[in-house]
Amino acid sequence: MKASFNWLKEFVDFKLSPEELAHALTMSGFEVEGMEEIEGDAILDINVTPNRPDCLSIIGIAREISAILGIPLNIKPVEIREQEGRGPEVEVKDPHLCQRYASRLIHGVKVAPSPEWLSKRLESHGVKAICNVVDVTNYVLMEMGQPLHAFDLDNLAGGKIIVKTAGTEKSFRTLDNEDRNLKEDMLLIWDAEKPVALAGIMGGLNTEVSSETVNVLLESAYFNPASIRPTAKGVNLTTESSYRFARGVDINNIAKALDRAVQLIAEIAGGRISQLTDIYPEPYVPLQVPVIFKKINSLLGIQIEETVVQNILSSLDLSIKREGDVLLVTPPSFRQDIQRDIDIIEEIARLYGYDKIPVTLPNIKMRPAPVNKRQDLIRAIKNSMSRSGLTEVINYSFFNPDTLDKLNVPFDDKRRNLILVKNPLKKEEAAMRTTLLPSLLNNVRLNLNRGEKALRFFEVSKVFLPSEDKLPYEAIQLAAIYNKDMSASLYGDKHDGFYDLKGAIENLLRDLIITNYRFEQDSTSVEPYMHPGKSCSVTVGGEPIGSIGTIHPRILELFDITGNLNMFEIYNVEKLLEHISFKKTFISLPKFPYVERDVAIIVSKDISAEQAQAEILNIDSDIIESVSLFDIYTGKPIPENKKSLAFSIRYRMVDKTLTDEEVDSLHSVIVERLKNTLNAEMRS
Amino acid sequence: MLNDILSIKNLAREEIEKAESLKEIQDLKVKYLGKKGILTGKIKSLGSIPQEDRREYGRILNEAKIYIEDLLGKYEETFNTAELNKILQTQRIDVTVPGCYIPIGRLHPTTQVLDEIIKIFTSLGFNVEEGPEIELDFYNFEALNMPKNHPARDMQDTFYISDDVVLRTHTSSVQVRVMQNNVPPLRVIAPGKVYRCDADVTHIPMFHQLEGFMVDKNITMSDLKGVLEVFIHMVFGVDTKLRFRPSFFPFTEPSAEIDISCVICKGAGCNVCKNTGWLEILGAGMINPRVFEMAGYDPEEYTGFAFGMGIERVAMLKYGIDDIRLFYENDKRFLEQF
Ligand SMILES: [Zn+2]
Repeated sequence: MKASFNWLKEFVDFKLSPEELAHALTMSGFEVEGMEEIEGDAILDINVTPNRPDCLSIIGIAREISAILGIPLNIKPVEIREQEGRGPEVEVKDPHLCQRYASRLIHGVKVAPSPEWLSKRLESHGVKAICNVVDVTNYVLMEMGQPLHAFDLDNLAGGKIIVKTAGTEKSFRTLDNEDRNLKEDMLLIWDAEKPVALAGIMGGLNTEVSSETVNVLLESAYFNPASIRPTAKGVNLTTESSYRFARGVDINNIAKALDRAVQLIAEIAGGRISQLTDIYPEPYVPLQVPVIFKKINSLLGIQIEETVVQNILSSLDLSIKREGDVLLVTPPSFRQDIQRDIDIIEEIARLYGYDKIPVTLPNIKMRPAPVNKRQDLIRAIKNSMSRSGLTEVINYSFFNPDTLDKLNVPFDDKRRNLILVKNPLKKEEAAMRTTLLPSLLNNVRLNLNRGEKALRFFEVSKVFLPSEDKLPYEAIQLAAIYNKDMSASLYGDKHDGFYDLKGAIENLLRDLIITNYRFEQDSTSVEPYMHPGKSCSVTVGGEPIGSIGTIHPRILELFDITGNLNMFEIYNVEKLLEHISFKKTFISLPKFPYVERDVAIIVSKDISAEQAQAEILNIDSDIIESVSLFDIYTGKPIPENKKSLAFSIRYRMVDKTLTDEEVDSLHSVIVERLKNTLNAEMRS
Repeated sequence: MLNDILSIKNLAREEIEKAESLKEIQDLKVKYLGKKGILTGKIKSLGSIPQEDRREYGRILNEAKIYIEDLLGKYEETFNTAELNKILQTQRIDVTVPGCYIPIGRLHPTTQVLDEIIKIFTSLGFNVEEGPEIELDFYNFEALNMPKNHPARDMQDTFYISDDVVLRTHTSSVQVRVMQNNVPPLRVIAPGKVYRCDADVTHIPMFHQLEGFMVDKNITMSDLKGVLEVFIHMVFGVDTKLRFRPSFFPFTEPSAEIDISCVICKGAGCNVCKNTGWLEILGAGMINPRVFEMAGYDPEEYTGFAFGMGIERVAMLKYGIDDIRLFYENDKRFLEQF
């Protein structure tokens, strides 16, 4: 809220500079977010929190200053001279939506531009001056926080006011010349025939005060915040009035504000004032809030004296009665936020000063910290990925659903079951991610466009899938992408990037001590966006947990990415928790040396390294300790459709040193077996 | 006789010391100590020495042999090393060629800052808890004393999935979930992603927060000040000053906004702190009794405090990052700075 320094001074005689005032307000809960100097005045921009609608006015802020500084508040009494007959005829049909409706008539006003002091003051607070009558209502709104509305009496059919809901009325044109769609339960102000205002929000064009206006009906009311808020939202219109009504105005201030406005109109625009009509069937009953005195100190951790508490509360217009250990506190009508003891303790803390509250550490019992396995797993994954040379990215959780078409994802795929955002700001925020891949592709494209190369990224984030429950299923997914830069390879790193990423997965699984994993290749690609010959699924314990592969060149084209791109996904990392063996068991180191023999075979290209290795390992012998592939070769002199695989086989016995003869005889069994089962030729 | 041996010894020494290569040393070895060597000849002729002199003569002869052997050995070693060095010199490499390193992957700055903050609070005995990112309106708003149509809902622009399901606007949504499933004492932190649909270009629709809260009998507002001071001092250094200002959050009362002395200008005034010397860093307060009631706790029995902070904000201050949008654009040149 904007508040003029000079205007505030009219109500509290403080001696602070604008900067000092700003600091004092900020430190008591009214953050001054900006200050602007205007012709010998300073306009403070004050952040009034939603619990303090009473401070949405100059007098409200002045009252707060008076409490903070302990200086009295001076408000001059309003004096008006009633000259002309009875007040307007008003009927409130929905008294629970409009708890008070006060009004007066002013006959014979001269509508004209406002005097300079008035229009200047409005303009310095960001309000456009229109004409004297309207400007006065805005002035009083700012000064006293009470929204008012002036109707052109001669356009009010029957000269009367009826307060009731819209009912079957479908549309209403507000004075900004917009047609507003009405809902049945929206509260309107009517004359004898038609709606004339959207209650508490904006008046109608049909009864607007204009230069021809001579007779005015002035309204000052209390509209129920619970009705104003949905109505303002429903018609998508927030005004200075609706903002205050939605937060709650001071019901005891209604008539005072009306009279203040009437007084100013009579002074500036002339006219004869009618008597008051005030429909106020259920007058405000003050609340009495009990506060146990001891609780003030025990909650805040201070030792405050009762006299200090009393001074603070009375400076805020809260009256106190002591009954034993309990203070009975009655807040004024403008403090509807004060309803419970805690609200009063907060007021005490606020004016006592947070800086005077000591700094202590809580007295607590020790106890073991529970383990959060999910969090530990995520941390382990992130650390493992970064050790494998991948850099972490974090992307927004939304994506553009069209991306699934670009990725060629079939219509019956579960990633198509999207959780949609009802109010996205752009298409990129329209759906919650069901896969991390599109974001990673965007990351690669952005970096390539900026001239960056050798991109190795991973992300661990949630994806969202519909579930039987009210809330969707949130799965933690891991995805990585690698755009290998083949051109810059000082040390001859020319192998397919697929194997770099495969190595990263294997490292991760080893880090987690998961051993029962496999990379299983099918005749087709594991994912619709992958290269059919360079992709496979990753299984743990026979269950697919993810996929790895080269992105299909067509897909890369659609995403405007050049070069070669590999990626992997682990669909739901929590599945890994089932396979992690948290127990580490020591195995004694061997006491006898091993013997190593190499075997190089030429086999058909279809035979996988894993297949050949399995043939060796399947031989029934307990002296084969390990088999490792150390070379793959295709090309001359190996015939086409064939490849050479070279394995190193390590033999060892646990209880004695092997002899050459023992090794040689087993080795020749292996060679025979490879010849028979894989149709392998030995390479010499 | 003796002189004869001594002159052999001297001659040998002279020749060895003059030698210029391993080859010459090897030749000298043959000349003196070989099968037909000068000294070997003398040893062979030992039998012809009269009995009474033989012992003494033998001793001197042996001494001379050892002397020459040692000397030859020393020179041989010297020449060996020199030869090897000559060979090694030809194997010289260019040490200025870049090393062959395993590329280093980085963790996102948000992760790094979050990890640091989590470490601090777990060291103070707080547990890490989580809640869903897509949350019921109840836990995000209602249970936190923000019923439908409450004006405080305007403070946060909310993405809706349906009328009663939202993208959580803060990690405070975890509070009542945890309270419902546990009994005090509670010391909990809840880190995670939160969402706001703000159209302002300088705002981002997703960011990270960390919520912390503590519930027990006799927790005071002074304890809140103490815990946050420890935390701020651990993140920004013990010289950092804290300032608690009254504020408003529906789920805490009293509520506070916490400023720290500007980490850039140390309070003197700069662009980052808009010349105030202070930076807003945390929101906090004593848990509102209404929240306890929502969780089924007796507000007369338990008290507690809660606080929340934006992780990107902490990271920006820690690293001097001036644009929050850089965080989730994922430019490699940005990510690799941390
Ligand atoms: Zn600064």
